Amino acid sequence: MLPLEYDRSEDRDIIVRDRFDGFRREYLRTLVNPEVIEEHRQSALGQHSEKLERLLIYFRQRPLEQRYAVRAIEPFRRYQVVRLSGRRGVPPRLVDGAIYTSANDARHGLFLRCIRDLLET
Amino acid sequence: MTPVRLFGYTDRISVKPGETIQFHVSAEGTDTAEAQLVRLIHGDQNPSGPGFVEEEVACTANGRWRVERQFTQVGSFLEVDDPEARLAFTNSFTLFAFVHPTWPASGKRQTIIGRWDGDRKQGYGIGIDEKGYLQFWSGRGEEIERLTATVPLQVQMWYFVAVTFDAETRRTTLHQVGVGNRYNGLLGKVALVDYESRSSATFRSMPGNLASTPFLMAGSRSRDAQQRACVSELYWGKIDRCGAFGQALQSAELDTIRSELVPTMDSLVAYWDTSAGYTDRGIGDVVVDVGRYKLNARGYNRPVRGQTGWNWDGFTDCFRLAPQEFGGIEFHADALTDCNWKATETVVLPHGLKSGCYAMRLRSGWGKSVSEEHVVFFVRPRRPRARIAFLFPTLTYLAFANERLSFDHPEREALTGQSAVLSDIDIEMYMRNDFGLSTYDMHADGNGVCYSSYHRPVMNMRPRYRMPSLDVASGLAADLSIIAWLDHSGFEYEVLTDEDLHRDGSEALSPYACVISGSRPEYYTEQMLDATEDYIAGGGRYIYAGGNGFNATAGIRDGEPWIMECRRRDDGYKPWVSRYGEHYMATDGMRGGPWKVLGRATQKLVGIGLSSSGGGRSELYRRMPDSYHRTVSWITKGVDGEIIGDAGLANDGAAGLALDYYDRALGTPPHTKIIASSGGHTDSYVVNQQLVLYSYLGLYGSYDWRVHADMTYFTAPHGGAVFACGSVAFAQSLPINNFRNNASRVLGNVVEAFAGAGRLPGFAWVNEEKQWA
Repeated sequence: MLPLEYDRSEDRDIIVRDRFDGFRREYLRTLVNPEVIEEHRQSALGQHSEKLERLLIYFRQRPLEQRYAVRAIEPFRRYQVVRLSGRRGVPPRLVDGAIYTSANDARHGLFLRCIRDLLET
Repeated sequence: MTPVRLFGYTDRISVKPGETIQFHVSAEGTDTAEAQLVRLIHGDQNPSGPGFVEEEVACTANGRWRVERQFTQVGSFLEVDDPEARLAFTNSFTLFAFVHPTWPASGKRQTIIGRWDGDRKQGYGIGIDEKGYLQFWSGRGEEIERLTATVPLQVQMWYFVAVTFDAETRRTTLHQVGVGNRYNGLLGKVALVDYESRSSATFRSMPGNLASTPFLMAGSRSRDAQQRACVSELYWGKIDRCGAFGQALQSAELDTIRSELVPTMDSLVAYWDTSAGYTDRGIGDVVVDVGRYKLNARGYNRPVRGQTGWNWDGFTDCFRLAPQEFGGIEFHADALTDCNWKATETVVLPHGLKSGCYAMRLRSGWGKSVSEEHVVFFVRPRRPRARIAFLFPTLTYLAFANERLSFDHPEREALTGQSAVLSDIDIEMYMRNDFGLSTYDMHADGNGVCYSSYHRPVMNMRPRYRMPSLDVASGLAADLSIIAWLDHSGFEYEVLTDEDLHRDGSEALSPYACVISGSRPEYYTEQMLDATEDYIAGGGRYIYAGGNGFNATAGIRDGEPWIMECRRRDDGYKPWVSRYGEHYMATDGMRGGPWKVLGRATQKLVGIGLSSSGGGRSELYRRMPDSYHRTVSWITKGVDGEIIGDAGLANDGAAGLALDYYDRALGTPPHTKIIASSGGHTDSYVVNQQLVLYSYLGLYGSYDWRVHADMTYFTAPHGGAVFACGSVAFAQSLPINNFRNNASRVLGNVVEAFAGAGRLPGFAWVNEEKQWA
């Protein structure tokens, strides 16, 4: 492994990765529909349809600094969605003021953010 | 105003009533804390269970404690014992070292070797500048003179570096020569990289020599904000043989050293043969100076020894076979194996203390700004009396201690199949660098962390802690569900820890008729594994109350149980992998990696072993035909219907997180019965890498039958037996419905039978035709 933070300006495979991601996102955007979103709302952690699983696998593989997480303000009572920094020592930052009353609701809020990012890029 | 924070650890975690234990506490924003001894009974806050339960215990130490902020020296380095200051040169000198930087362009200055005080600008050192160039510098208290190489150091490549200083002419020359071969570095011969540099300059003065400056490797003297002496400019990388001469050597003489010949010149002041003193059973913390003055160096925060050296040719993969090729000592600026805080309180524990898991609860602050810390330890009985023992898997707690996988590990979310749920303590831990890393993390230079210690606050060895990547109580907080269940069921039990098992062997277990494991007893030393096997074979009755157990090798050095070593390799789950040649533990010479590869699959010991793991929804068990067999039908006595464990605090089922299964090909004893099995796991559960030869589509819960947990039972020699629950989540199903559920009933039947004085139920059924009810 190379250092967690190193100068990647000379890494040529970033171009390859970005091109792959571009094609992948283009296809994934066609999978987003109300049924998939409702499926996730009902079962964020269950067995998923192929469409939903494909979307989730992509979201889980984003670079760390593009990844979201849930912050438990008070476990089992209050949660928020945050974005990871991807840099050791730098805390996640809050993405909005929404408060969720269960971890599953927060996971769904996080999922909707990922969907929005996908559709907007 | 500084927020109130309290953190602490104990000098040892396994104690007996009446013994003395030291508490080391660091406080921020306060100088007092209210201390209260508590027994921990349940650790999971999940509202579907009893919640967090502790019991206050009378103790003379209860009350107000004076606390203060304590300093933590982070980073590994070596300090040379040089009482006569032979390395405080007053004349010409040469310094040399073989080095392998792992993060040269870190943006911070690094000292490789030297006698340098950065605050006072006195002394000299060879190191690396902010941009990753080799540099020599010296000072006498005012300006610093520097000489820098002309080409940057390449990451993970070996170099011979040296500086010669002629006191008469003050001519200073810095040498840098690449010594990479086909095996020992990141790049091969085909890479078009310039490794060599030779630069010279005439310095204006000799280095200064403060009496207080130590000669260090991988760091240099500095002072913190309170002007306390500390070590900074820490080095990332390996150092192999190095030394010093009291003359400026010529190039040809440096070439001789570089050709692997041990220097013999009279002017030799010190020659640290980093591979000297190795034994097949481990390597200590002292680096030997084989020169005439014996200026030995001692490791701080345990530098990693036994690593491949500059002259390693790839033929042997272990320091035991060719120690001279494994002289690499690896340093990390973020290593931490001991906070070395002053003892805040020394407490004599009450004589009548019941055996169990305890904590000194510390509180300070008011209202919403109250800071609370539980400094956890375990109390064994003065003399074993109970028939049941619960074994806290403290070595596994150590392996995971302060892990930050959810922030740092790009594959963690894919592995668990769910987004992380971070608590404030996780975020605080991530922001701080003074509590160290776990053996699941990587140092900032990308290398795996192979030492973890409890001589520091361990945030996830606390009640209420939830592992963010799985959003479930884990480790101690999960195992307390078994303690609460034992308490609720009225069983008399005592507790012990992995370090007792490692130290005392099977004698730690033999006083007990029945031993119950934790929910994830994953990390085992050879001594612990042998002791467990001997206990069962000798007639002991063992309940493996979890999953993913007995899976990974670990090392503990005699007399220093607070530090565990872990090397990672082969086909097991692993957050990082040791470099080839660095898979053997410096602690005891054992090969790191999964026990299965060493011929000791978990199935051989307890009947089942890891089949798969994942996150998200847990599942239930269904009874299997064997459970109706007259030899074992007592296990499910009172179970209404087929289903066991259809609820739980870990994702609503008893089969989850990590699952173990029966496999005759891996050594499950032939007469083992499968009492119940789980199924229907989601595709987040993937077949254990150790069970497949290739990766392919379909190794997931809904595709591969191996993704399941087996609950098994077998009898062992001399009246022994093993009952295995099959899943990490099993323990967390016990507290459901105030402990009235089928999982609880099954475990209750087994504990009652195992702890009983007579023969096991079902023993009389021997003829096959009579065995089905």
